[in-house]
Amino acid sequence: MRLCLAVLVLFVAVHCRKVFMGDQVLRINVESEEHIHLLKELEDDQRWELDFWTHPVSTELPIDIHVPYSSLHVTKDFLQDNKIPFSVMINNLQDLLDEEQEDLQINNIKECNAKSFDFGAYHTLEAIYSWMDTLVSDYPNLVSKMLIGTSYENRPMYVLKFSTGGTKRPAIWVDAGIHSREWVSSASTVWMANKMATDYGVDSSVTSLLDQMDVYLMIVNNPDGYVYTHTNVSSFSRMWRKTRSKNPGSVCRGVDPNRNWDAGFSGPGASNNPCSESYHGPHAHSEIEVKNVVDLVRSHGNFKAFISIHAYSQLLMYPYGYVCTSIPHQAELDSVGRSAVQALSSLYGTSYKVGSICKIIYQASGGSIDWSYDIGIKYSFAFELRDTGRYGFLLPASQIIPTASETWLGLKYIMEYVRDHPY
Amino acid sequence: MHRFCSVCVVLFSLVWPCLVQPQTPTSQPLGLTSLHEGNCSCALRLHHTEPTSQEGLVMTSRELNPQFYEASRAGRVVQHHLNTLYGSPFRVYVVTQVHTARTEDTGDDGMKYVLEFSVKDWASEGPECKASAEVLYPRGDVHQPPKVQSSPDGLLQANTSDKEQAFYQRYSAAAGPVSAKDIPDSYGHIDPEMEHFWHLAWVASSFIMLNESSENTLYSLAQVAKVTQLNIQDGQLRFELQVLLHDMVSQNINRWKLQVSWSPADGVQVLEMELLPRCHCKSQTRP
Repeated sequence: MRLCLAVLVLFVAVHCRKVFMGDQVLRINVESEEHIHLLKELEDDQRWELDFWTHPVSTELPIDIHVPYSSLHVTKDFLQDNKIPFSVMINNLQDLLDEEQEDLQINNIKECNAKSFDFGAYHTLEAIYSWMDTLVSDYPNLVSKMLIGTSYENRPMYVLKFSTGGTKRPAIWVDAGIHSREWVSSASTVWMANKMATDYGVDSSVTSLLDQMDVYLMIVNNPDGYVYTHTNVSSFSRMWRKTRSKNPGSVCRGVDPNRNWDAGFSGPGASNNPCSESYHGPHAHSEIEVKNVVDLVRSHGNFKAFISIHAYSQLLMYPYGYVCTSIPHQAELDSVGRSAVQALSSLYGTSYKVGSICKIIYQASGGSIDWSYDIGIKYSFAFELRDTGRYGFLLPASQIIPTASETWLGLKYIMEYVRDHPY
Repeated sequence: MHRFCSVCVVLFSLVWPCLVQPQTPTSQPLGLTSLHEGNCSCALRLHHTEPTSQEGLVMTSRELNPQFYEASRAGRVVQHHLNTLYGSPFRVYVVTQVHTARTEDTGDDGMKYVLEFSVKDWASEGPECKASAEVLYPRGDVHQPPKVQSSPDGLLQANTSDKEQAFYQRYSAAAGPVSAKDIPDSYGHIDPEMEHFWHLAWVASSFIMLNESSENTLYSLAQVAKVTQLNIQDGQLRFELQVLLHDMVSQNINRWKLQVSWSPADGVQVLEMELLPRCHCKSQTRP
């Protein structure tokens, strides 16, 4: 960003002096060798400060001369006196330069934007989607964008696929923003996507990970909700959590997409009231946003990890949410979780708790990582990012990059572990 | 300047009326015990208690994992309680960690949680202090607020009285009444001028959050929707607030309207509170 700015400033400084006001560029169509001779003499004699853009060489080629304003009359008189035909190619050089400068500034800004997306700010859905395209175009051999379906309100749902080849390699799934008010989860995942792309080929661990496995990153799992949180319908709109589907017979919209998965569906910890923030919906996978992911994961068939990113509370959790009994792999997942949190905390000392959803936070049925675990994806985890309630959902943008940076260390640990423990 | 807390035990007993009319927040010098007197008809008792009791535990006592939700929720109740007592535009407490927790089923009276925890004032960035408390969630069909007894281990309070006086003077004499909305805004930004109103809202909301707490809630202030200054009355600055309170367990966010008074001498008091109905839905009934 700074480099772009410097170039811009320099460019503007140089051209702001308006040194070419009134100057013209004349095109000479020479007809004889004598004309050529005369113009060569003119070129050598510098008293009128003529600037030959093309040189008198042959009668076949036009000669373009930049004539300073002060020398316009004398030059034109000379050409007319010697019967050398000419035309005015550029009537006012400064005007042309001003136009070009403007275009350049606009392009520079555009380029600046594309290459220096502000990771430390919260963005609209449009801006995130547009950034995805630039990431793909910057890393075409690593990142591709997949359309996995549309949302209730017909918005595209995209997944960034990080792959260095192969066919259906063992893969890691990471999603963010399933609850739309949890802005920092999508914002952090944008940063982490960029980090992963830039680290490939540079960081040996990330490189070996992507050489063996694919990573699927879903930045905005609930685009309708996310857009709604950016509207100013009421001061509640920023606090929207659910999808935006209409519930027949109710004025209240939306289903909690993390109570809608087929894992203890409609059990404790989810509501059957459409007005509730944890409404589970009419049946499992009723929400298209959930179904699209279910279909993708099932049809792929080779996911080895499923990680869902939420906010807030500073927790790293594993299944189950729908019951409080321990999963068979409790000890292993707990150990992985603790090591991941150790890595995360190493950056800023941010403290996280580790445990099963049901024990750490609450019993909650129909959750995504319970579903993924129950279909055989052993390494299923859920993050709840910063903070612990002081700002809550309204985490200051200044904390996005610190949050993303520390979370990356935890996520990376988990991904490396998955890479090193194939099953 | 902040100092490390040293072990100092003060126990005071509070009855229910005190929870809506707080005592005067006072600084407790380390190592000293004191009696509070305020506009509160409490009988105060000083009691020495050891954090780790050697008495035989009640049969229905259960040790809790301090990382798990039962302990966290009880810790949050203690936090609300401390803010109702000691909070101000310059002092807002957070229970940062629960160290040990156990429950005692007292039968008809309800479920008692006994906690050791750390707490700090994040508004003035005070030091982290250790303390202990008991939270009693009453039983019954009709919701009753939990009762809290706390024994802060030398709850060190940063000296904020100068700042509080200055703030009080400023807004007593202000040309026009203060009025603002959305603190923090959608992007987490808070106008520096509004920061202390945010703190005030945290403290005022703590009265509501304490009232509404049960073993199945975990409340935070999600956002201050509106703050409007009202006329000074009886030397108290008065405000009308609209706040959004988030309960992590149900994930619901409720909007409350409250009228609050504050002065450095009398602390924060909630004069009125009202749950506002949400959109077109009928008024919320208690879960």
